[in-house]
Amino acid sequence: MRNTRAVEAWTIGPLEHFVGQAGARLVLIMTPAGQVMAQYGFARAVDVMTAAALGAGIVASSSEIASMLGQPPFAALGHRGTHHGIVLSSFDSPRGRLLVLVVYGVETSLGLVQLFLGTLVDDLAAACPVPESRGPVLAVNFENELNRSLDALFGQ
Amino acid sequence: MSAHVRRALEEITRIRGVRGAVLADRTEGIVVAESAMLGVRREAIAALGASLVRRCGVLLEGGGLGVPRHVLLQGREGTLVAVPVTDELLLLAVGDAAVNVGLVRAELQRVARELR
Amino acid sequence: MTERRPRAPWDPHSLDAAERLRRQGDLEAAARVAIDRLEHAPGDAAAHDLYARVLADMGNLPGAESEWQEVLGQLPRHAGAHKGLGFIRFREGRLDDALDHLEIALASAPGDPAVVQAMRTVRAALQREASPPRDRVFEGLEGAGRGLLLVDARGGVLGGAVRDADGFDRSELVGGYAADLVHEARRTTAMLHLGSWEWVVVEGSEGSTYLAAPTDEAVLCILRDRGVPAARLTLLAEPALAAAREWLHEQTL
Repeated sequence: MRNTRAVEAWTIGPLEHFVGQAGARLVLIMTPAGQVMAQYGFARAVDVMTAAALGAGIVASSSEIASMLGQPPFAALGHRGTHHGIVLSSFDSPRGRLLVLVVYGVETSLGLVQLFLGTLVDDLAAACPVPESRGPVLAVNFENELNRSLDALFGQ
Repeated sequence: MSAHVRRALEEITRIRGVRGAVLADRTEGIVVAESAMLGVRREAIAALGASLVRRCGVLLEGGGLGVPRHVLLQGREGTLVAVPVTDELLLLAVGDAAVNVGLVRAELQRVARELR
Repeated sequence: MTERRPRAPWDPHSLDAAERLRRQGDLEAAARVAIDRLEHAPGDAAAHDLYARVLADMGNLPGAESEWQEVLGQLPRHAGAHKGLGFIRFREGRLDDALDHLEIALASAPGDPAVVQAMRTVRAALQREASPPRDRVFEGLEGAGRGLLLVDARGGVLGGAVRDADGFDRSELVGGYAADLVHEARRTTAMLHLGSWEWVVVEGSEGSTYLAAPTDEAVLCILRDRGVPAARLTLLAEPALAAAREWLHEQTL
């Protein structure tokens, strides 16, 4: 599947399976901080960065609301427009908390996206390798890592 | 409406061989109301049933045969019956392979008329 | 008394020159040379052959055939004559006879590229003739030609046809949608634990459709207007499925 790119290669299989079954147009798998692990369907780096930042922001905001209500963070959020819908889902994985942003069109449905998100979570958990121990994040490391991520996400 | 709809769905599930009945949003493929046995995947019925009926509609339109009135999907070990209620709602029932599909269809159509 | 002038001796290169005239399209001039030669040497096979080619170019196939038969009367394995007769038989649709002539031509003139190409053309035509046309799949069955369609798993039409009330062929469109619907049906039965998919019936406001798979790689689609009850489609399906399986089996032989 040409439109799939990943910083973490183990996410590719589950992501491609999800896209094939759910019929999503755009997908981001990322950390709550907005660091993208894999993407499908995006053509430009700036779109990936923007979508990741906004998606992470939406989840963070809604988590605050949930906290004010005295409940755990919302598992999923959905918005439906005329031509597209979006779903933001957060879940626990061996790599910690992860977020998935899905954009879908009229050719599929919220129900199908939600149905196969469950499979995606299971597949990611099954595919996830044992996490490596990481050193402290320095500014220069962060920038290098960001550039490396963008290169991987856009196949350069 | 919720209690009335739930009662109607429960009547469908009382038909011998029926494992579950779902009222689904046709566009979103999500459950609006349901009555199903334990272990029956209600969300999957709604999502996949709505997607199937949408494709049936596309095929009928391509063949000049109008819009779907009912859909009968036969598997080796089970059956899915779908009856559109309105442009927004869809009734679905899942049953065993030998379920009386005529009776299920008739009941779904009766409930659909009540819901319109 | 008129003195008859002696005829100029025959130039053996004049047939070559006439052939060049023929290829340049000057058929009349080429024909005059051939006729002149044949008036004085009726048995000249080369002149008969040339004249046959000129007549064929002019569209006079009966005349050309007669000339080539003259050639074969003297030289039974003349490559040019057999090549010409092969062409005539091909135009007549007698493909086996065409191939027979071309095989003799090739044996007499091995490696002649024109003969080789002609044989390829005839063999391709024979192959097409051997393939049953689309409508033969469901020949004799109710709905054949308008409401019985066989497609592959990707929606490509294999046989049969679907036509709407105005007679327009909707096979390609319906075939694509049918394959897509079957893909979804298979997914649905698998994920809802209904076992392997067997068939689906859809009743519409203006008619009904039935889909089933005669083999793993093909889909049968039956369409009827609302004059036919949806339940009847499952009865119509059995002979159609059997016909489809038999036809598909023949394609692999």
